[in-house]
Amino acid sequence: MQQTSTSAPVTARQSLLPSGEKRARLRRWRSFKDKMSKYGIAFAGISVVAAFATIFIYLFSEVGPIFSSASIEPEQSYQINSDKPLYTNLERYSEVGLNVSASGELQFFDAMTGAAGEKVQLALPADTTISAFARGEPRSGLLALGLSNGQALVIKHEYNLSYPNDKRKVVPVVTYPLGESPLDLNPGQALQSLAVQEGSAGTALVAFSADGKLSYHVFEAQTEFMTGETTLVRTDYPLPDAPKNVSRILLDTTLHNLFIAEGNEKIHYYDVTDPAQARYVEAVNAVAAGQQVTAVEFLVGAVSLIVGGSDGSLSQWFLVRDEHNNFHLKHIRDFEKHPAAIRQIEPEYSRKGFLALDTSGHLGIHYGTSARTLSLEPLAEGMNFERIAISPINTALLAFAADGKVQRFALENAHPDVSWKAMWNEVWYEGRGEKDYIWQASSGSDEFEAKMSLVPLALGTLKAAVFAMLFATPLAIMSALYTAYFMTPKLRGKVKPTIEIMAALPTVILGFLAGLWLAPFVEKYLSAVFAILLLLPLMMLLTAYLWRFFPRSWRERFGLGWEVVILIPMIIGFIWLCVSLSPAVDQLFFNGSLRQWFTDNGITYDQRNALVVGIAMGFAVIPNIFSIAEDAVFNVPRHLTQGSLALGATPWQTMIGVVLPTASPGIFAAVMVGFGRAVGETMIVLMATGNSPVVNFNLFEGMRTLSANIAVELPETAVGSTHFRVLFLAALVLFVFTFIFNTLAEVIRQRLRQRFSNL
Amino acid sequence: MTTQQIHSGYGELNLADEKIKLEVNDLRLYYGESQALKTINMQIPEKRVTAFIGPSGCGKSTLLRCFNRMNDLVDICRIEGQILLDGQNIYDKAVDVAELRRQVGMVFQKPNPFPKTIYENVAYGLRLQGVNDRRVLDEVVETSLKGAALWNEVKDRLHDNAFGLSGGQQQRLVIARAIAIEPEVLLLDEPASALDPISTLKIEELINELKERFTIVIVTHNMQQAARVSDYTAFMYMGNLVEYDATNKMFTNPSQQQTEDYITGRFG
Repeated sequence: MQQTSTSAPVTARQSLLPSGEKRARLRRWRSFKDKMSKYGIAFAGISVVAAFATIFIYLFSEVGPIFSSASIEPEQSYQINSDKPLYTNLERYSEVGLNVSASGELQFFDAMTGAAGEKVQLALPADTTISAFARGEPRSGLLALGLSNGQALVIKHEYNLSYPNDKRKVVPVVTYPLGESPLDLNPGQALQSLAVQEGSAGTALVAFSADGKLSYHVFEAQTEFMTGETTLVRTDYPLPDAPKNVSRILLDTTLHNLFIAEGNEKIHYYDVTDPAQARYVEAVNAVAAGQQVTAVEFLVGAVSLIVGGSDGSLSQWFLVRDEHNNFHLKHIRDFEKHPAAIRQIEPEYSRKGFLALDTSGHLGIHYGTSARTLSLEPLAEGMNFERIAISPINTALLAFAADGKVQRFALENAHPDVSWKAMWNEVWYEGRGEKDYIWQASSGSDEFEAKMSLVPLALGTLKAAVFAMLFATPLAIMSALYTAYFMTPKLRGKVKPTIEIMAALPTVILGFLAGLWLAPFVEKYLSAVFAILLLLPLMMLLTAYLWRFFPRSWRERFGLGWEVVILIPMIIGFIWLCVSLSPAVDQLFFNGSLRQWFTDNGITYDQRNALVVGIAMGFAVIPNIFSIAEDAVFNVPRHLTQGSLALGATPWQTMIGVVLPTASPGIFAAVMVGFGRAVGETMIVLMATGNSPVVNFNLFEGMRTLSANIAVELPETAVGSTHFRVLFLAALVLFVFTFIFNTLAEVIRQRLRQRFSNL
Repeated sequence: MTTQQIHSGYGELNLADEKIKLEVNDLRLYYGESQALKTINMQIPEKRVTAFIGPSGCGKSTLLRCFNRMNDLVDICRIEGQILLDGQNIYDKAVDVAELRRQVGMVFQKPNPFPKTIYENVAYGLRLQGVNDRRVLDEVVETSLKGAALWNEVKDRLHDNAFGLSGGQQQRLVIARAIAIEPEVLLLDEPASALDPISTLKIEELINELKERFTIVIVTHNMQQAARVSDYTAFMYMGNLVEYDATNKMFTNPSQQQTEDYITGRFG
């Protein structure tokens, strides 16, 4: 007993906590866990930031090359055994070069070393010299030589590829499409200037002879049906109003339009659509007064003329149709001026760019559509080059001096075709009547001028978002106010999650419904849709007003905050009424169809239009706006509303005077989040807009948004192409859009938090 | 304790000399199934300060909120009986609740200025009544702020946000806001419980000034405060009005054992 009584107080005083050693271990374990979570969270946070940074870096790295300029690096230099060049050429793989000399010798050579290759000496009649030279569309390899005896010889050079021993071998071939013997164009009169072109009507030659005559010759190859024999049918047409002097003749590939540089500042335009009735149209002053046109060349596609002047000026011209359906040669744009007279203009083979060589040895790399000058530098110190030749894929350049010296350059010029200015400003595209914003990025042909203005896409994005917000904002905010402030908590507990779960609805389903069901429905019952949009709110107000006159017992059965339930059958009934009355209304007021009535009154109506998108995308953004706005209203502190009510305010006055101002930053943030969502939305606009990149805010026309454009075009574009990179830029622009709206929303939300932190 | 005792405790008070402003007749209040106020009967005299004291949850705030029908905002709340304001039952169907609340102003435990300027806070109630004349508003704002003993502190920053004020200033601003619409009764629900001692003192001084113009009903946890500011005191416990008497009598010679126990700090 004694023992237990003494031991009892000891055990009573003994601590129930674990032993010191155990607690020390626990402390170590706890601090380990703290550290782990600290570093773990830090790592996760940094990873998120890094992931974002990586996305940005990737986007910028894909977009960046668009804005880089061209570079020219000198490579080998060698001597070829040839005279002063009349014409030079470089083949696609930059392996074989060609120099056509004034003596009629075609010297092919190894473009790496200058080693002489195949040589073709043209069989010129005795005692004749080459007095004129012409080149057809660059890709055709068509050349024509005008002789001092009035004859012309047409040749074609091509490069055949073969792969003996799995090694590429380039074999140059020279053919005579119009026969090996020279053609008599104006016997006895030296041809001073010549043009050649292949078209669907045959091969055409235009010649200006020493006697001042201008003539047009067409050679059409006709195959005898029975024998298979090919005969050449020749037709000659004299052309009227020849200028006194001719320095250059150009015929386009349609064989309809003829341009003649006179050697002064003028370029003459002839309409030779029907050569028998060829017409002199006009002359334009293509360079400044007192200067001469020293070089003029077609860009690829033979639509645009690039004119180089003795003052080093460079300008682009093409035919523009006027309101009387007549074409006129119009000045389109100027390029950066060279320091000396332009000697040669060499068009690129697959896009609307060109190289210009001037007499001071400067080489300029220019581009038509984007009006960019990517490089303008002396080619080599102390060298004066006569001619240049560019490879068809714009990777190499040969420069030929008069003494047979050739300098080879590596060329890097991947994305000259867009500029920031051209993407956001009106651009005058080939064949268009005026400057315009156009998105039309690709086509099957090399001659196609890519039109990559981001304006239609950016505006389309805003258009879709604005119409969606016009539909969604009032609905979402009104329902948020009602749900948060007036609705009974029981009903609110059902309504809020239901609307929020709408946000989980896949937008592809909304887009599908919008495109395939809503769009035809809206078109058919257009008057009903308008009636619903405009009259439904009035109908609701009327219902609310009439509700006051219902018997009290009736009203109390519903209870305060349940009135909204009675609206549901009313709304359904009203919609049904509108739809069923729609045909009669159309019949009565709009000649049977409101849609047709719009068309008759000059308003374009597309089936998939901004109205449909507004409604469909409106439904997609309502849950976002509703959810945030409802929270904002619901979180207005009760003591504020009670304070207002205690001052004798009605619930409505409290709503306007206290709740709305207090919740306004949250509501604004909700709208911004909704706008950000609408801007980035893809599937709905893709399926319900028709995707035409128009520049207008017509409710009844579609649009193409940045996001839909990326979805449509990215799978089909070539990786690394300008188009590909511009799509990345579009993504970046889209990112900036959503970034702005979400940041604005977040900044305001932060301010809201600060503002109510002391409540 | 029986109902008899309660009525005897109330019965000793003689209000024959006073003009009665508010009269509570057989008021019972239920929150859903549970009864929060059990048959309250009392009379509140005009231009006097009447204090409600009692432990937490005794129903004193609930009773206070019955005077301007703030309990209407609670869905599950149900009220039986009458409250007469100048002889008119405020629970009558014909009564306009908003107008009632203008007549019976209220100040809450926590200062609740609106997120507006000081000026707009005071002008709010007037604007609700359709007053938009700048001169009238200016005058009322000034007199109300003076009435709430706040004018000298804020006259140079009337258009600053009200949240820039200290807690005590905010509470006086709320009082200024309440008196701006010329109420007849002012209900104060523990107006100083969230304030420091100096602010509390200022509020108590203010109550003394205000009682010349308004009938004041104040709920307080602070016995000394009730003793200092009120003319009459009602002690409530568990939804019952245990004792209602002149303040002097209550704090010196309460007639109920329970009251004495509470006042002397044995429970509560």
